[in-house]
Amino acid sequence: MVVHSLFTKSIRDMRKSKVQFISIFIMAVLSVTIVTGLDSMWKTIGEQTDIMYAASEISDMWVNISNPSEKELWSISRTKGVELAEKRFVINALTGLEGRPTLKIYTISRSSRLDRPIIQQGGLKSRGGAIIDSSFAKEHGLKINDTIELKVNGRWTGFKIEGLAMSSEHIYSVKGTTTIIPDPQKYGFIIISEDMLKSIYGQKIYNQVCIKLSAGADAAAVEAEIDKVLGDNLIGIVKRGEDSSTNNVWSNISQFRTLAAIFPLMFFIVTALITQSTMLRLVENQRGQIGILKALGYTKGRILWHYTSYGMYMGLLGAIVGLLLGPNLFGRVLIPWLKLTLADDRILVNYTNFIFSLILILICTGGISLYACLRLLRDSPSMLLRDKPPKEGKHIFLEALPKLWNRMRFSRKLIARNTLRNKLRMAMSIIGITGCTGLVVAALTLTVMVNGIAGHAYETTYKYDQKILLDEKVDSRFIRNIRLDGTVTQIAETAAAVISPDGSRTMKMLSVFPQDSPLIRLTDMDGNLVRLAEDGITITRKLAETLKVKAGDSIQIKRTDGSYVYAPIRQIIYMATGQGIFMTDEYYESMGETFKPTAILVKWNNKPDRAFLQSDNVDEYVDRVSQMKDVKASTRVVYIAAVLLIFMGGILAFVVLYNSSMLNFSERIRDLTTLKVLGFYQKEIRSLVLTENILSVISGSILGVPVGKVIADIIARGLDDQMDLVSRISFQTVAVSGAITLVFALIINGIAARKMKNIDMLESLKSVE
Amino acid sequence: MDFIRFENVEREYHVGGHVIKAVDGISFGIRKGTVNVVLGQSGAGKTTVLNLIGGMDSPTKGRIIVDGQEISSMSEYELTTFRRNKIGFVFQFYNLVPNLTVLENVQLAKEICSDPLDSKEMLIKVGLEHRLDNFPSQISGGEQQRVSIARALAKNPQIVLCDEPTGALDSVTGRKVLRLICDAAYSMGKTVIIVTHNAMIAHMADTVIHMKDGKIAGIEYNDEQMDAEAIVW
Repeated sequence: MVVHSLFTKSIRDMRKSKVQFISIFIMAVLSVTIVTGLDSMWKTIGEQTDIMYAASEISDMWVNISNPSEKELWSISRTKGVELAEKRFVINALTGLEGRPTLKIYTISRSSRLDRPIIQQGGLKSRGGAIIDSSFAKEHGLKINDTIELKVNGRWTGFKIEGLAMSSEHIYSVKGTTTIIPDPQKYGFIIISEDMLKSIYGQKIYNQVCIKLSAGADAAAVEAEIDKVLGDNLIGIVKRGEDSSTNNVWSNISQFRTLAAIFPLMFFIVTALITQSTMLRLVENQRGQIGILKALGYTKGRILWHYTSYGMYMGLLGAIVGLLLGPNLFGRVLIPWLKLTLADDRILVNYTNFIFSLILILICTGGISLYACLRLLRDSPSMLLRDKPPKEGKHIFLEALPKLWNRMRFSRKLIARNTLRNKLRMAMSIIGITGCTGLVVAALTLTVMVNGIAGHAYETTYKYDQKILLDEKVDSRFIRNIRLDGTVTQIAETAAAVISPDGSRTMKMLSVFPQDSPLIRLTDMDGNLVRLAEDGITITRKLAETLKVKAGDSIQIKRTDGSYVYAPIRQIIYMATGQGIFMTDEYYESMGETFKPTAILVKWNNKPDRAFLQSDNVDEYVDRVSQMKDVKASTRVVYIAAVLLIFMGGILAFVVLYNSSMLNFSERIRDLTTLKVLGFYQKEIRSLVLTENILSVISGSILGVPVGKVIADIIARGLDDQMDLVSRISFQTVAVSGAITLVFALIINGIAARKMKNIDMLESLKSVE
Repeated sequence: MDFIRFENVEREYHVGGHVIKAVDGISFGIRKGTVNVVLGQSGAGKTTVLNLIGGMDSPTKGRIIVDGQEISSMSEYELTTFRRNKIGFVFQFYNLVPNLTVLENVQLAKEICSDPLDSKEMLIKVGLEHRLDNFPSQISGGEQQRVSIARALAKNPQIVLCDEPTGALDSVTGRKVLRLICDAAYSMGKTVIIVTHNAMIAHMADTVIHMKDGKIAGIEYNDEQMDAEAIVW
């Protein structure tokens, strides 16, 4: 019965300060939603991909090789640290489907154990059959027993679809240079039998060795050894984590881990501050009641629990709602935007961190309530039953500056003293507004950055109409001789093995083209035009960061003959997307190589040359405009993220400002009534209360800008390995974020002002509360 | 010509479905520069009368004319302006702003009205020149009430309204405060209206308005006012 009546009391008390308790609840929900939401993202991606990696027995490294001999393969498998080595053939092939999408062909043999497809339906049954990418199949309406035409070794061959599968190498499925975001309409994979390939080429053919390392093996040593063994037959080694799929997965995981670790902090602090100010006031208003309870003989512990429970209920309730909301809101809404092909659509929850955030939120709510109550409980019941001594006025530091102080109006002095008396509340408002502005700045910066990618790549850098990928048989002289009607730049794009000064080996994109191509305008970080150096290479900023090099350093690049040459880095350029190494055709030849274009960039004088485009000299062609459109379409995820960020910012601003103005108002209602009676106008009284909000909005908005930059940077860094997003806080961004924050603040001030309008002069003057 | 005139003034309140007539059709006049006491038991409607004169409340029926202006038909904003320039208040619980010093509390009133008097001079007048920089919590109740009087007078109002000004004070201090109010009123030509349930205070007034159950029970005119400090209660 006793517990029951106290419980009833707490429910009624909470109902009386509805708004404050709803605020605590909302903040608790928000904090836990963000933690569990972000956690569920990396947890889901991490676990799902781990399952896929394990199911397919993904390799630790892939060795790209040209025409390996049996002896070489044998030596690879005998290298110390290699547990298993398997050979296969991998090549991109055009399909006969509409829009000429590309499929990456992988061969498989009966004995293959590494990089197995994760079969969803059917399986490879006959020699001429194929297992096809299930996302690709779905997008193109392909079913088992359909036939798909592929152009392999220069001829069109039909394959019967016998199975649908996913691949752990195609979780994030991008072709490479022309696209940056997966699009199953344009790209996928297909798995065919080794024997079928043999009959297409007339001989057994391989170009890749998949390697599984034995436990505890030193990958770098294995790489060096393989490099030595294969010599000029080695094209390059790609380690797991470096290929586009595993790399993207990994960076997504680490991005959301970082965000989950730092992002919610702000929300927890605000929750604690709101609870603190609410409970402190509630407990102080209930001095008398605490005295009565004590006088009635309630134990200290019971009274403490009674008040602590206020915060506990809110924290617990908020955490549960957050647990329900977070994974659904973030996981279900955002994960599909990451364009990962995952085994299923389960969203996993990181319960460890949920428990951790639950404890944290209970400290922020219950713990803070306990603290507020403990301070009062020290007094004896008789002291508590007496009226609260009036709050003392205090001189503040501003008065030490008589010049400034004496010139201030009294209402200003009043505001200054009040604000400084409630430092914690001011801190709450400022942190809240800092958070709000930070989130809005991050959202806008991110949008600007990502929107800038397409423009920088396909408007600033590239000026061609079409990029035409050439057939293997086409060489430089052939292009010159056919005299296309337009400006033509020949470009060779290949993956090359490089060794950075610290000895690490990677495969990087190498782009070779003439120095003065009018169709490619490279720029540095500040947007100044950069000409390719004649006596060295030019690399992109993000690549320089990955390789840990700077202008003036040299890296080793592997030549076709297998030997490495040192190439000095002459300059660093900025590319929003497509990181790599750039050099002139002349420098390339001076390295002892032959310049053979893989593609041409063309700006047509008149209409595109249809005959040429349709000829078998051309593998594929793409319009710059449509490339740009694709990038823009594929980066739309950022808008969802931006809306989410702004939404959270709005809630944050709303909760803290509404709370602080209501607390401010109810604490000072007597003063305000006096002022009203003295003849202060409504707007003068309003300004007394709301100026504090304006002050916190201004300081919070300023502090929020760097916070926003940090958030934007973390999100941008994790977006994609190929994208180099540099957050530049522009004046517009700051202005717009300031304006948005201000709009939030004005709305709240409006609502608070309306509440304030109905001060009952007669009632509140009557007696001391 | 009456400075303040009530004509058949009625004020109803709706409390929990009931209608309570706090003031039930009263008429009276108050002359300029006089000290007036509204006397009655609690619930007689005297505070309502004070609030109506001060423009903090409006009648449901009837007219109130102050200094030729009909305040009963004024808007909220006009009433605020009226209070700002014409009315000084002294409250039972002083109602000083705790966060402002004694001097600042007086200056606060001065800040908003058109023709204020010097704040320091007012505080000297009420004998608080040594307390200027103290906060309200640092001075006694009597001193706080004196600050409140100084604040009311500094606005240089035409009317000073006092709601149980001695209610929270001991008798010695109360007498001093009353004397202060009366002296100031006469020397500065203010019209003073004091609301109280203490019949003894009535002796110091020019006019005493007796109220009972929202109606006027009688009006007395004193030709000989007793000195405030001679009142015994």
